[in-house]
Amino acid sequence: MNKPETRDVTPKPKRKGPVRTEAVIPFLVVCCLIAAYTIFFFDGHLRRALEWVGYQAIGAEVDIANLETSFRKGTIRIQGIQVTNAQKPTENAFVIGDIRFGVLWDGLLRAKIVVEEMAIEQIEISSPRKTPGKVKPPEKEENTDGPSKLEQEATRLKGEFDDKYQDNVLGDISALLSGTSGQDQLKNIEGTLKSKEMLSSFEKEIKGKQDEWNQRLKTLPNNEEVQQLSKRLSAVKTKDFKTPQEVEASLKQIDSILKEADQKVKTVQAAGNDLEKDLKNLDGQMKSIDAQIKKDIADLEARFKIPKLNASEISKSIFMRYLGPYIAKFNQYKNMAVKYMPPGLKNKNGSDAAKDQIQPHPRADGVTYEFGKPRGYPMFWIKDIKVSSKAGASDFTGDLKGQITHVTSNQALIGQPTTATFAGSFPGLKVSDVFAKAVMDNRKPESVITLESKVGSYAVAGRELVNSPDVTLGFAQATGSVGMKAELKALKEFTFSMDNKFNQVAYDITAKSNELKQVLVEIFNGIPAVTLDVNGRGQLPANLALNVNSNLGPEIGKGFEKQLQKKIAEAKAKVEAYVQEQIGAQRAQIEAQYKQIKSQVEAEVKKVQAQLDTEKAKGDAQVKTAEKNAKAGASKKIEDEAKKLLKGIKF
Amino acid sequence: MTLLLKQLFAFFKLLNSDTGSNQLAAGLAAGVILGFSPILSLQALFILFCCFFFRIQLGAAFLAAFFFKFIAFLVDPLSDQLGRMVLENEGLRPLFTNLYHMPIVPMSRFNNSIVMGSGLVGFILVIPLFFVFKSLIAKYRATVVTRYKQTKIWKAWSGTTLYKWYTTYDRLYGSN
Repeated sequence: MNKPETRDVTPKPKRKGPVRTEAVIPFLVVCCLIAAYTIFFFDGHLRRALEWVGYQAIGAEVDIANLETSFRKGTIRIQGIQVTNAQKPTENAFVIGDIRFGVLWDGLLRAKIVVEEMAIEQIEISSPRKTPGKVKPPEKEENTDGPSKLEQEATRLKGEFDDKYQDNVLGDISALLSGTSGQDQLKNIEGTLKSKEMLSSFEKEIKGKQDEWNQRLKTLPNNEEVQQLSKRLSAVKTKDFKTPQEVEASLKQIDSILKEADQKVKTVQAAGNDLEKDLKNLDGQMKSIDAQIKKDIADLEARFKIPKLNASEISKSIFMRYLGPYIAKFNQYKNMAVKYMPPGLKNKNGSDAAKDQIQPHPRADGVTYEFGKPRGYPMFWIKDIKVSSKAGASDFTGDLKGQITHVTSNQALIGQPTTATFAGSFPGLKVSDVFAKAVMDNRKPESVITLESKVGSYAVAGRELVNSPDVTLGFAQATGSVGMKAELKALKEFTFSMDNKFNQVAYDITAKSNELKQVLVEIFNGIPAVTLDVNGRGQLPANLALNVNSNLGPEIGKGFEKQLQKKIAEAKAKVEAYVQEQIGAQRAQIEAQYKQIKSQVEAEVKKVQAQLDTEKAKGDAQVKTAEKNAKAGASKKIEDEAKKLLKGIKF
Repeated sequence: MTLLLKQLFAFFKLLNSDTGSNQLAAGLAAGVILGFSPILSLQALFILFCCFFFRIQLGAAFLAAFFFKFIAFLVDPLSDQLGRMVLENEGLRPLFTNLYHMPIVPMSRFNNSIVMGSGLVGFILVIPLFFVFKSLIAKYRATVVTRYKQTKIWKAWSGTTLYKWYTTYDRLYGSN
């Protein structure tokens, strides 16, 4: 019987080809999702990302009203960029109404960003904000509860600035003129002179040294010892030698005496050397005491606010308040630059601590090469940025035209530096003839950034220069003009100069003392134009050394000279007299004591040294005589012997 | 994540089956290139596209990419050196200059020393490794899988109704 055939009823799986056809729909879905995201969400997300990046980088709120991108055309349009002024959050540092640019698809296909032309329009400066902008709190450098290093440095600099310059000169002059200056209270100060303390400790040291040298002088060879040596030397036989043994014995004796004398000379020489060292040391201390006395006098002059009629000091003192905000702004941008500066550049003059920090693994970067060729594209290149703005409804807009060319990642490839020029005026703000030109040249290994700018005319109103309890001084009204030049070499060496001129100046002067006010009004009426020249130089990221000059300095100095010169001299004389009274006698006594020790010990050492030298010379002469006599005795003996021999021989 | 897990399960299922050794070896070889290339580069996107549109085992590719990423990370200093050597070669300079200014090609980031070095290593290894993987899969199936299928546990499990239902379901609806 045949078994019935069993048939496999399960369907045979369909053979699948090499192409995954079932993946087409998911792929299309993913593409649609990406397209939908780009159309509906990308612009918003990019806008928020730019706002966040701006806030992190600048440290103040950045708002963007609208951002539009077109993937097809390769264009971006950003409207209503407001950057908050970190120092004054109710104002914007600047506002840019519209930025438009398009990237070349030709470049994008080559993984390069090339922008043929960019337009920046409707620029406003210092316009008020509808709501105050958020300002980033200062970062703590370390996880400690105390202030950061930056804050500490800022506080230190502020203190130094306040102590040195802030509002002191005119206030001090006022106090001196009114006779309320504190130098009359000199007698109330007790025991505050450092030089006095130094003198006391020096006096103790001198006494100690005197005792020490008295002891030391006792250990030096005395007169008797030297006489003893002399006697022993005289007793040594130096003639009538009968045998060579006698000569030898005499020479040995002289030699041992001379050696002894030598030893004593060495002791005296060592004492002489030590004395020289001690005297040098004491001399140095005397000099440092003198220096301290001078410093004490200067400190007291500062403490009792005796003004210096030095033109440069006066200029600095008056204009530091005016320059303060600009210096603060410069330091703010400098710190921002330092934050993003390459670590190698930061550490050139700094500590090695940063070198020990974890460095990124090579995977993170490697070396990216650019294979340039003429007419090729660098990785990033904005060929031309046109900046334009028309004065409009707002006072803060202006007629401004500018051009920035060749913003690129590789200047050497395109052979052009990055340049930026701006010219225009802001009639609403009464600012005219604004011109700025910046050139950033990275074509050589050491980059050079130069900046030249000028403002032909700007209105100054209510600018305070000096504000002390006794005097306030400011520009009630003036027309200013400013020119500035700056250069940064190799991102390190920074030099800059600024020439500021204020014309048609109306001063705002108040003073407690009428006498002073009268003098000040008289002086300032004769100064219708004020110049302010500031020069700075330094190695970034360290602070700059500033040099401030103004015609106000010499003019004020000259104006006050007659009234003040005598009073200043009197005040200085008082301070000096006080210091002399406090320490003069003590200093003279110590100096006398010091001179006495010096002469006494020096004379003693010299005397002993001279005696020993005489004895030594005597000994040397005796040695020579003994040798001569010995030689003469020996030759006579040989002659006698020869004669005897000749007599015995008969030819 | 589900998609990734599904692909990984599919990889182990295929590895323990009798078919698809080419798919697996190609997947593993593709993973070598993915591992040695930066994710956002032309070559990585091209390989992913190939894996997606051709029947290359995605699970194998992801697993190999994950493993070779670590290897690439360890040999980065060597890749950097190799890359610099190639990119600084005077003889190849005109070629690189042309490639650098061609459309699309610069998106491979070949001008970076590490990308060039590790890319070279990946592309040199991919063909030999394809055959190595293929032979290893065959050996694995001949030794490990066969031996495992001889064990009592496997025999007991494969004799259960549940397993038969699963195999029937997998044959009808399962896919690689």
